Amino acid sequence: MPRKVSLFVPCFVDQLQPQVAVDTVKVLRRLGCEVDFPEDQTCCGQPAFNSGFWDEARPCAERFLRVFRDAENIVCPSGSCTTMVRVFYPELLSHLDRSGEKKSGAQHDEAVALGRRTFELSEFLVKQLGVTDVGAVFPHTVTYHASCHGLRELKLREEPIKLLRAVKGLTFVDMLRSDECCGFGGTFATKFEAISAAMGEQKANSVAVTGAEYVTAIDPSCLMHVQGIMGKKNARAKTIHLAGILASES
Amino acid sequence: MPTQNPSREQILERIRSGLRAPAPALDDRPFEAEIFEPVTDPLERFRQECKANLMECHLVADSNAAAQTLAQVLQSLPPGEIYVQDDPALRRLIVASGARRPVRWSTQAAPAESSQATITLADALIAQTGSIFVSASCGGRGASVVAPVHIAMARQSQLVPDLETALHNATADQRLEKNSYACIISGSSRTADIEKILVQGAHGPMRLVVIVETD
Amino acid sequence: MSTFATRPTPAGATPSAETAAQKFLRDAAEKSADLVHREIIRKNMESYDAAHQRGRARFKDWEAARRRCQQIKREAINHLDRYLLQFEERVIARGGHVFWAATGDEACAYIRDLAVGRGVKTVVKSKSMVTEEMHLASALEEQGIRVWETDLGEFIVQLRNEAPYHIVTPAMHLNRQQIRDLFREKLGEDIADADPQKLVALARRKLREAFFAAEMGISGANFIVADAGAVAISTNEGNGRLSTSLPRIHVAVTGIEKVIPRLVDLATLWPTLATSGTGQPITTYSTLVGGPRKPGEADGPEEFHVVLLDNGRSNLLGNVEEREVLHCIRCGACLNICPVYRNIGGHTYNTTYPGPIGSVLTPHLRGSEFQHLSYASSLCGACTSVCPVNINLHHHLLHNRRDFTAAGGIKSSERGQFRLWKKAMLNPRLYALGGWMMRRSLRVVYGLGLAGSIFDPMRAWNRKRTPMPMPKSSFRKLWRKGLNKE
Repeated sequence: MPRKVSLFVPCFVDQLQPQVAVDTVKVLRRLGCEVDFPEDQTCCGQPAFNSGFWDEARPCAERFLRVFRDAENIVCPSGSCTTMVRVFYPELLSHLDRSGEKKSGAQHDEAVALGRRTFELSEFLVKQLGVTDVGAVFPHTVTYHASCHGLRELKLREEPIKLLRAVKGLTFVDMLRSDECCGFGGTFATKFEAISAAMGEQKANSVAVTGAEYVTAIDPSCLMHVQGIMGKKNARAKTIHLAGILASES
Repeated sequence: MPTQNPSREQILERIRSGLRAPAPALDDRPFEAEIFEPVTDPLERFRQECKANLMECHLVADSNAAAQTLAQVLQSLPPGEIYVQDDPALRRLIVASGARRPVRWSTQAAPAESSQATITLADALIAQTGSIFVSASCGGRGASVVAPVHIAMARQSQLVPDLETALHNATADQRLEKNSYACIISGSSRTADIEKILVQGAHGPMRLVVIVETD
Repeated sequence: MSTFATRPTPAGATPSAETAAQKFLRDAAEKSADLVHREIIRKNMESYDAAHQRGRARFKDWEAARRRCQQIKREAINHLDRYLLQFEERVIARGGHVFWAATGDEACAYIRDLAVGRGVKTVVKSKSMVTEEMHLASALEEQGIRVWETDLGEFIVQLRNEAPYHIVTPAMHLNRQQIRDLFREKLGEDIADADPQKLVALARRKLREAFFAAEMGISGANFIVADAGAVAISTNEGNGRLSTSLPRIHVAVTGIEKVIPRLVDLATLWPTLATSGTGQPITTYSTLVGGPRKPGEADGPEEFHVVLLDNGRSNLLGNVEEREVLHCIRCGACLNICPVYRNIGGHTYNTTYPGPIGSVLTPHLRGSEFQHLSYASSLCGACTSVCPVNINLHHHLLHNRRDFTAAGGIKSSERGQFRLWKKAMLNPRLYALGGWMMRRSLRVVYGLGLAGSIFDPMRAWNRKRTPMPMPKSSFRKLWRKGLNKE
């Protein structure tokens, strides 16, 4: 029985980095999954949520629950968006009564259940499908940036690395302080641009020290930011999303 | 000095009303996990930790050996007065060590700035952290901190495996009812406030010497 | 439910034309670009990281230690009145005094009146962030009392007339040459080779005079122990010991949240605090003070006073979601790990408590003027991962943001933006149209070489980064065009 996967495509991937989603589809299909894309989806609500606009984020969450209600497996090529659904939807959709006690309603429970069927890509491949070798070929040196949400909220430390090490021709190089934040942080990147850029520079330096041709991660937003910073420094390395490496066949 | 303290009631009232809402449930089952590796050989562990703490630890067989070791340590110091906790055992020890230095006893006065060293007993030794447990009855507060060298005389029977035991004992024998102060000392005074470089001998003693009579 | 403080900025803070938020942005930009500063901090933190890792390895189960410390603090905070009263009873029974201060000003007044009343001319102080919070030193100096900070790092920043840079290592931002120059200028002695050993020896000599002359010693407290009625002070230098042994009056100042139930709780708290703070298994001096000297003791202060400071903490208790913020044991680990702190340094925060805990706590203690700190974070969560009492720090930053927005604190323009954004996100057609328009317009702007200019809607992004290449089609368009059928 092929696994049925509903694709959850982050809004900025959909609009600005579609290749990440295209690659995700390719990898899943190669492994025999039936992939569909609920076209009604828009955004998980994270930008509003992180900025403190929970009233504006809540309808997005409710909408998401509706759009994905019948999905068996929801797979997303982003640690932060997956975190939004699994970790924060239950909190966003519960409500605090006057004493501060969280009251879980039906929506809260629905969100918890939905969260259990929502997976970041590497998580889905390794923990749900049980594969580490996805038949990819990528003859380059690659280093790994451990995006914060995937690492600390979803507890994904080994999964992306296992997948990378199984890629044919790939030389994996460890990065110092791979778990240090790259400095993207959503609206933080523009509201506190100097700090964001300084953090990005520190990350770019860590990448440069490895000498790797590529730096990869499970979060396209991190890569977007690091690529921009590295571009300003005329760095040698390029960014590529994990899905891009796993989809590669030559 | 009787002081008006109207805020006391206000603060307590604010605390009580704030706590009316109970905190969300946490796992309140009794704690099972072992936080620290159990200490299997306390004396050896004590010795190792003292070394790591940059303390000088001497294990001696009997009171004669203790006196000899003390004499050697004192010889390594510049001439001058020493401050000693006034205790019969220490009075005997000073005589046995043959120390020819002026002695200021803790019953006479507080330690002076000019003391070259202080000599005290200890309430306990702690293997886990290589510590000595002293209190005000060990010659007073200044005795373990004013002079550049502090020498503590102890016995192996005073050695406990860990902090938990030491603090449990201190609670049971009401150490802080009988003493206005106590201190667990785990090394010589040090600081890393300059470029994170460890420098020994900040405001407290530069050297902490422990002489332990083994069983 | 918001518990953000509504009191005005404390006395002594000069009102300026610039808001705290604007000043923060300015200082942050300056510090972030300062490569010398970046390197100093990097070296310090590398040394700390290594020590911290070694320290954690000494535990059989570090995570269990964190849970246990969390449990102890939870018990203490959730029965705060009971444990404070138990502590007070014990101290008073031994002849000590306990003063409860609602505000920093009240605490300063008590200590100032005590000092003046007792003819105190010189005070020696060991490190206490609470006394910084209260601006105690200046309150005493106004009375002509000389105050000596005796913790070496505090002594150094006091000579420089600046605030501590870090809650555990106050002079982290300075190198040995700068300290040598400072000592030469202020102490009149030159250590030509700037050897740290000699610099420390000089400070020791100078401060010894103060220790022996001072009539009053002021300390903080890392913990106040309810069953023993004791103040617990963790130090390495010995200055805390001297300050609380030599002068005839000892005043211990502490936040009310520092209380713990039992002496034996320190068996877990002391090593965990030391590991998180510096990587040590335990600090050199773990001191317990229970009262003034007892009859028969060789020395010790004749008077012992404990000042319990509220200053907004009891307010936070009522906010159930935020109550655990009071569990903080002030170890500094969250500052050390925070990438924002590492780039902007401690002074940029312009608060008593910087770093993640400072960003979470300050709006509740000092008001919404400092709310910008809750936003100056990428929410990476590193702070939460190292907190020895398991405070969910980065989630609290999110809560601060939520509550600030709900209280109407946000600029109306941003509110308007998110309302529009919401409309688009609830309508797939509008969303797709918005995305298409953005891609089109950016391709035009970039095509004309205007990236980063005033015509560039993404200029805030493009100022610091090369522009992202704009794809022609969105994913959903590609899906509809054939990806769906493969």
